[in-house]
Amino acid sequence: MGIGTIFDIASSGISAQRLAIEVTGENIANVNTEGYSRQQVMMENKPVTTANGFGLGTGVQIAEVRRSYDGMLQMQLVNGNSSYQESLTRQQALEQIEPSFNEITADGLGKAMENYFGAWQDLSTNPSGTAERQALLSRSQVLVDTFHQVDSTLAGVAQTSDNNLVGITAELTDNARNLALVNTQILATMSVGGNANELLDQRDLLLRKMSEKVEITTSLASDGTASVTLPGGEQLVAGTSYATIYTNLNGGTATNDILITGVGNPPPAKNPGGDTVVAAAGGGGSLHGTLGGTLEIRDTVIPEYRSQLDEMANKLVTVVNAQHSQGYGLDGTTGNNFFDPAGVTAAGIKLDGALTSAKVSAGLPTGTDPIPTSSGNNVNALKLADLGSSSVAFSTGNATFAGFYRAMVGKVGVDTEEVQNLSTQGAAFLKQLNALRSSNSEVSLDEELTNLTLYQRAFQGSAKVINAATDMLDIVLGMVR
Amino acid sequence: MRVTPGMTADSAIYNLQQGRTAIEKLNEQIASGSVVNRPSDDPLTTRQLLDLQEQIGAGDQYSSNITKASLLLSVTDTALTGMAGLMQQVKKIAGDMVSGTLDATTISGAVGNLTQLKTQLIDLGNTQIGNQYIFAGFSNNQPFDPNGVFSGTQDMLNIEIVDGSTISANVAGGSLLRGGKPPAAVGTGATAGTSPVDILGSIDALITAINNKDTAGISDAIKNMKAGADQITTARADVAGRTVRLDNMKNMIASNQNTLRGIYADRQNVDYAKAGVQLSQQSTAFNAALSATAKLSQLSLLDYMK
Repeated sequence: MGIGTIFDIASSGISAQRLAIEVTGENIANVNTEGYSRQQVMMENKPVTTANGFGLGTGVQIAEVRRSYDGMLQMQLVNGNSSYQESLTRQQALEQIEPSFNEITADGLGKAMENYFGAWQDLSTNPSGTAERQALLSRSQVLVDTFHQVDSTLAGVAQTSDNNLVGITAELTDNARNLALVNTQILATMSVGGNANELLDQRDLLLRKMSEKVEITTSLASDGTASVTLPGGEQLVAGTSYATIYTNLNGGTATNDILITGVGNPPPAKNPGGDTVVAAAGGGGSLHGTLGGTLEIRDTVIPEYRSQLDEMANKLVTVVNAQHSQGYGLDGTTGNNFFDPAGVTAAGIKLDGALTSAKVSAGLPTGTDPIPTSSGNNVNALKLADLGSSSVAFSTGNATFAGFYRAMVGKVGVDTEEVQNLSTQGAAFLKQLNALRSSNSEVSLDEELTNLTLYQRAFQGSAKVINAATDMLDIVLGMVR
Repeated sequence: MRVTPGMTADSAIYNLQQGRTAIEKLNEQIASGSVVNRPSDDPLTTRQLLDLQEQIGAGDQYSSNITKASLLLSVTDTALTGMAGLMQQVKKIAGDMVSGTLDATTISGAVGNLTQLKTQLIDLGNTQIGNQYIFAGFSNNQPFDPNGVFSGTQDMLNIEIVDGSTISANVAGGSLLRGGKPPAAVGTGATAGTSPVDILGSIDALITAINNKDTAGISDAIKNMKAGADQITTARADVAGRTVRLDNMKNMIASNQNTLRGIYADRQNVDYAKAGVQLSQQSTAFNAALSATAKLSQLSLLDYMK
């Protein structure tokens, strides 16, 4: 034990504090890096020697650079992300649909329907009036156009959802490739005993990003690599290999199916005939995330609204035609259809090609006004006007046209409100989890600055010890001279 | 709990966003004047509002129907009033004929007069509003030809004035002036003066009787004319009754509409006082949040280190 030992102790201090300052610098530099977990330097004293007759350490050494990380929080974030993104996707789609059903601030299908039956009322007060007949025809056209417009808005949102799938799956495959790459790097770093903290952060960040797209099940291997499976059990990432998840246009439904290849690095080429189908039309219920939400909008939400619209158009065409064809037009013809009987969907509804102002059949033979009916006969017009307030058998029960439509508007409102609430809750939940993660892992500048001062002073102290040792050595050498 | 500047920043953004959302919502309500601006704001109220809207719309439609029916009935009433006056004159001439002497001048004067009156009755029977003949039933052609032959129909033009309830907006011309379609038989002897009366036919019979100096025929005609005048008076009373019904219905719809609009406004209109107070609360809170965020986010140890 000599003065040399003092040098050893002091230099271990200098290098340990320098390393600590490096780590602090790394933390400060990454204060705004997404997914970065702060690192802490764990120091411990070097082995004790008893050279002096009593135990004393031989300086300081770095035990580990620890990453502040909570695996439980990471898992909850992954799960929270999936359900939040699912609600958010549905919310965005529903908010696009809602204006089409907003009867409160603007006139929509409900008003067009009311005006249509009102036009029959007007015609019943003056059955031969040209103006009334023309008004009826133009209001019918407005009604038909409104049906088309609402339906095409819905179809448009479904189409957009379908198109979005391409981007979502591409991004998911990209994430999978990156994760496989990070896994490879983790393996390489770990195999040489290196510190893979930053890589582990990247791995966790990628997992969180993937969980936004789709619900994933993650398994972490002891070597630090992560494997990912989809809810259906399909392997997306297995260690250093990954699969391609992609869309394939299904000729039958004219929508995109979601397919996944086997794993590999690089993965095998796409083979739509042989690859596993993750979700075909109507099968995306358990996927969650943006992908699940988008499929749900495309396959469940929109088709339901459209089928209700179709049902309404179908009933309108059938009921109105049945009554209208019994009547007589101004030109003495009967059996005229008002709407084209072939157009029984919201997209296909249209006025009958042969319908003219004169063929609008307001007259119905009575005992005193037999065939051919007179031009002032309003019996059929009255019956048609009454259809607006009479109950029609819909699949959801008997309702008037207006009542059925109101129920639909109510449903759009309830659905939208529900997903809005869900995503607000999801956002609050995620905020809470993120706050917990931040509390645990995020860099605090104040803390790092304090640490910086601490390590800097310690560095100075160790340097001072070397000064002292140098002086001591000088003194000893001076004694010899 | 360990708090980092990043958490403070996240929290500040989240809370400022919440504040902005609340203010935006209030601003939308105040600017639009409506509590519910889209179905998802309140789905239940939306359905009630749409229901009210529909009822108000139906009320408007029925009001417009009633206006049209009132117009038809008031024109009908005017024509009937004219007819009643003409019948008074016919009755007077017939009465003069039965009591007075039937010299050639009187006869030709009376016949000329009666022919004129008949023509006037036919003209009134052809009264038109727009392109509708009010006594033609469902027909849209002139219902009476110059000889008084009725070619219209006997149908009633029913107009819906409230859900499921209609009112006739016309009077059957055939029944009114000809006692039916085909015309009722002109009463003679024992059947004279029994309704329904073929008024135009009876005037023709009266003219024939005067020309033939047929005193019995003239007395029959007097009875027929009296019954005919009653027939027109009855029709007037009927029309008046329907007009009263229309007026009542119109008032009822108007008061109904008022009530419905009141309820609608109650549900949908913004209580400005309340919204204003909420807005000022929210903006105070938002101001405080902004100022706190601005102050706190500047705090850093860096400012105190050399």
